[in-house]
Amino acid sequence: MVRPRLVNANNPTRRDLLLGLGGLAAAGALGACGVPTESEAPAALGTSAAPSAGQARGEITLWMRDDDLLKVFRTVVPAFNAKYPGVKVNLKGVDIATKLPPALVSGTGLPDGSFWEDDQIGQHADHLYDLTALMGRYRDDTVQFKLDVLTHDGRLVGIPWDTDPGLLYYNDEILTGAGVDPASLTDYDALLEAARAIKAGNPKARPIPLEQDNTLGMMWYTMFLNQQQGHGLVDPSGRLTLDGAASRRALTWIKTIVDEGLGARQKFASTAQITMLDDGIISLVPWAIWFIFIPQSGLKKTTGKWRVTGLPAWTPGGARSGLMGGSSFVIPAKAKNPELAWLFYEFAVYDPQGYRTVFSKNSVYPTGLNTVVPSVKSALDPAKPLVDRLPQLGGVDNWAISTKAALDIPAGYTAPSWYGQAAKYLGANIQRLMDGRMSVDEVIAKSTADIQKNLIDRN
Amino acid sequence: MSLLANRVAARRAPATRPARAARGPRTGWRGLLLVTPFFVFFAAFAAYPLYYAFQLSFLDWHGGATYRWAGLDNYRYLLTNPDFWAALGNTALIWLLIVPLQTIGAIAAAGALSRARLRFTRLLRTAVIIPYVTPLAAMAQAFILIFDRDYGVVNHLLGLAGLPHVEWLTSTEWSKVTIALLVLWKTSGFALIVMLAAIQGIPQEVYEAAALDGAGPLTTFWRITVPLMRHAIAFFVVISTLGISQMFLEPYVLTDGGPYNSSTTSGLYLFQHIGASDLGTGAANTFLLVAMVLALSLAAVRLFRESK
Repeated sequence: MVRPRLVNANNPTRRDLLLGLGGLAAAGALGACGVPTESEAPAALGTSAAPSAGQARGEITLWMRDDDLLKVFRTVVPAFNAKYPGVKVNLKGVDIATKLPPALVSGTGLPDGSFWEDDQIGQHADHLYDLTALMGRYRDDTVQFKLDVLTHDGRLVGIPWDTDPGLLYYNDEILTGAGVDPASLTDYDALLEAARAIKAGNPKARPIPLEQDNTLGMMWYTMFLNQQQGHGLVDPSGRLTLDGAASRRALTWIKTIVDEGLGARQKFASTAQITMLDDGIISLVPWAIWFIFIPQSGLKKTTGKWRVTGLPAWTPGGARSGLMGGSSFVIPAKAKNPELAWLFYEFAVYDPQGYRTVFSKNSVYPTGLNTVVPSVKSALDPAKPLVDRLPQLGGVDNWAISTKAALDIPAGYTAPSWYGQAAKYLGANIQRLMDGRMSVDEVIAKSTADIQKNLIDRN
Repeated sequence: MSLLANRVAARRAPATRPARAARGPRTGWRGLLLVTPFFVFFAAFAAYPLYYAFQLSFLDWHGGATYRWAGLDNYRYLLTNPDFWAALGNTALIWLLIVPLQTIGAIAAAGALSRARLRFTRLLRTAVIIPYVTPLAAMAQAFILIFDRDYGVVNHLLGLAGLPHVEWLTSTEWSKVTIALLVLWKTSGFALIVMLAAIQGIPQEVYEAAALDGAGPLTTFWRITVPLMRHAIAFFVVISTLGISQMFLEPYVLTDGGPYNSSTTSGLYLFQHIGASDLGTGAANTFLLVAMVLALSLAAVRLFRESK
């Protein structure tokens, strides 16, 4: 185990002294170079910071992912300006994963606010405003796990935007053709039984997709952990949970799929996977809600044959939902107009006019934005759908299913700052399991050792 | 002044005049002015970042508000980490799959092309350079489709020939080969142009003298052409080595370093540290790579110089 070395102040050796002097010299030089010093304290944005509609004046630049979401959020600006006429909003499409971290670290070229994936935020929480006070009035109206995910060292550093619950997508024709009642898919053993029945009728079938990407495969496994125990890779005290019962159960289930030839090894949404879905080779997909875009627009032969329901449970009476993804809005601590950025996000996320503009049908999403659901409880009303039912899903009430799943995600999930890096170790080992090259015990032992050595002890 | 002194001065004058002119204040000032932009740009965009990165390599800093002096720990961590050496090993294997084959192939093809009376030479040159100027990400997407295990055309053709399917992108054995094929396809045109230019730079008289001495085509090629191309070969080997040692985009878009990090190159491994904001380790990794590549490049240059 390699631990960063510290100078022993009580009994310094000559080497320690030399290292210390070198360190002081480097620290002095770096202070002038822009590397922050330990005296810098994280910033907080208090309730008094938010100006009233009449007082709000100025210009803000907000970064969004450069895709359809940017177009949708641009439609929010006119409604926002009707309420806050003095604020000019520049929404800019940016490769956030690449651009935001260096901007935060260097403190230059920063936007006033930005969209960001939840699992990326923790690593840079020091550079973000603490929004605990401003978010106080909205806590009760926010799904709990989003508040958990965005709280780092007791600071709530994000405005929760979307919730990405896991759902079970299935090809109804193939399932019923194999003599399986979709309503029976209430636990993961039943899902295995259904896969066996499908394969018995079609030896070419590999009904359940086994993700070939390190990161997505790990996210899938993490969803299973969250579903069973609330927390993910670490428990509330920060200890790894890889060797727990939930982890063993999930990995053993994956191993069974591998051993019985029930899994299709492809990358999510790759051309090959879409072909397998359309050819009926893949027919049972326990995945994040955003899988919906494939039956919605990627399939030809099997369009209209897909359905969606809640995830199976791991134990009788267990949760039928889990977390797989999610994103939020953050305000950099060195933003020029953080108060105005807050006003925009508050409007877009919590004002009914704001979230209806984003989620309801519009020119970008003719049936509404259905790949995610809001994180605002009052928006998750099954009786007031924001999106339309889809003929591609046989007209099932996907809004009611999605909102129920969002509200049922077990609370207590936290993403450690090293989560993304764990894909190199845990993600790779899960891939080995899926290829039949590692046992469950080996995945647990090696991943635990690798994460402990390379990520926890080094951070 | 005596007559002798005058004569001595007159004799010295031609010798001293140019030297004074060379050191003269006006010329020196202008020269300094002309080279200043280079030094300013070099200092701002090369020397200072290097100095800054070197300092970072001794810190434990993840881009947060605080950092910690780590001494040599980042270097020690990398040098004792199997992943670092595995990435280097992967890079070395990919180098072996690419550089010898590409260099020999380009020399042979350039030799044949320089002798042949080809028609449509402009079209041919354009054709060989097209892959070099095609965006890598687009080509990688095509490769993903072509080499897909279940639906790729390569495996389809292998199947027609009665051969088993190969997991081109998803097996530890073949993923590096597929990356090498992508690089070969993309850069072989450039290799050919470098070698062709070197061959065409060899004076015709040398070949005529060899012919008079009774040298055949093969002898001429190995005894005349190849030795006289050694600078171009050294240049190409060094450039290729530098490129492969920093290789990032090819494995990133084709295999994402997988399966199980088996195609993670040194460049991608370095990116993983930087991407995870482990800036100290990333900087240390950079300097280790620089040292290794510098040593390799110097060795290659020395080898070709000694073969003179």
